[in-house]
Amino acid sequence: MQKSKKVLLLGHFGVGKTSLIRRFVSDSFSDAYKVTIGVHITKKVVELPSGTSLSMILWDLEGTDELHLIRNAYLMGTHGVIFVFDVTRPATFQNIQRDLDIIQEKVKKVPVLVVGNKMDLVDPADVKRLLEENDIQSDYMTSAKTGDAVNEAFLEMATQLDI
Amino acid sequence: MNERERLEVLKDILFTDDRDYADKITDRIVQLEQILHDRNKLSGKVDPIVSAQLEAFTKSIPDTLGPVITATLKEEIKHHKDEVVDALYPVLGKMIKKYIAQEMKVLSEKIDEQFSFVKSAKRKIRSIFGNEKEEELLLSELSMAKIEQVFLIERESGILKGGYSKTATIDEELISGMLTAIKSFVEDAFNKGGQSLELIEYELYQIHIQSFVTHYVAVVISGNYLTRSKNKVQDLIFNFYNKYMAMNLDLVMDLGQGRGEDGEPVTRSDIEKELSKYFGNAKI
Repeated sequence: MQKSKKVLLLGHFGVGKTSLIRRFVSDSFSDAYKVTIGVHITKKVVELPSGTSLSMILWDLEGTDELHLIRNAYLMGTHGVIFVFDVTRPATFQNIQRDLDIIQEKVKKVPVLVVGNKMDLVDPADVKRLLEENDIQSDYMTSAKTGDAVNEAFLEMATQLDI
Repeated sequence: MNERERLEVLKDILFTDDRDYADKITDRIVQLEQILHDRNKLSGKVDPIVSAQLEAFTKSIPDTLGPVITATLKEEIKHHKDEVVDALYPVLGKMIKKYIAQEMKVLSEKIDEQFSFVKSAKRKIRSIFGNEKEEELLLSELSMAKIEQVFLIERESGILKGGYSKTATIDEELISGMLTAIKSFVEDAFNKGGQSLELIEYELYQIHIQSFVTHYVAVVISGNYLTRSKNKVQDLIFNFYNKYMAMNLDLVMDLGQGRGEDGEPVTRSDIEKELSKYFGNAKI
């Protein structure tokens, strides 16, 4: 029996949440930036190594610099969260621990993955050093533009939700 | 050997059985002390007794405490009428208001029907002076409400538990997600004490939403959706949800009401069969 799980993508404005979903769902990318208003929902069914399939209902919430202002109604019943930050804009990850604490407070006991996006725009070594300096742990470093590590990040979430 | 020692030897000879018995009692006391000081061991001994007592107490509540509680409540209500009215007014007031509004609509529709000869005359006049034929006008008036789609959706997550559709549409899981987002947004933004979004209208379609505690049912209706139809749709929803709850209860309570009696979980296809059964050929 196919299970369905609600996965939220959260993060600041313009970090590439919509682009990551578009890359994962339809394997495409657009440079034109269209701000997400409210919420946009897409779906992808993934086949897992366990042999089961999982329907990921992806809730792409509009970006915000103040995560505590996100409407609780959107967060209810969430099974997993992918927190996205932009590796080119320190403002999107400088307060990452505080942001993650807010998320954990709002959606208790669900898997949370931290994803640094836009890796195609930077030198990986510089990013690594910057993250180490700021003591930031990122689960995946992705590029929605090139597709690097995008599937891996979503599949990791799906695997965690399949347990 | 002094006198004391001789006495001890004599005691050993005369009271051997008693001494064994005393030793056994001592051992037993030590064991009991260990049990008393070991939380897990004590729990193993005491819990079944407490559980049995609690179960007996729970069963006896209606007989023993029921009359007392009822009498107390009656007394409290008698002496605090204003407070009771204050507490119940928002809930009852809303229900009564809603009921009266609905009944007024039904009454108004019935009056309209009684004056249908006036409508018929109007139709004739419109067909004479307008471009439309009388048959076409009649047809448009008779465009009855029809159920197009039904969804059973988890209230918080928006996950679709089952859907029934007469026509092919976009992915039902996406619809249920977006419906939930819209519903959540409206209920959150206009937070008016536990009210729920009940109807979404777009052109010739209406989405009737009935919320329950853990799920909600959304019914997409085309055509002329009158209050009479609304009542019928509500009845259908309640009947279906009652069945759905029974199917789930069977899993834990073995009520013999639904699919779950063989211990298998209720699947999406079970739910969709029921949705089709209840809503498929329903006239509203």
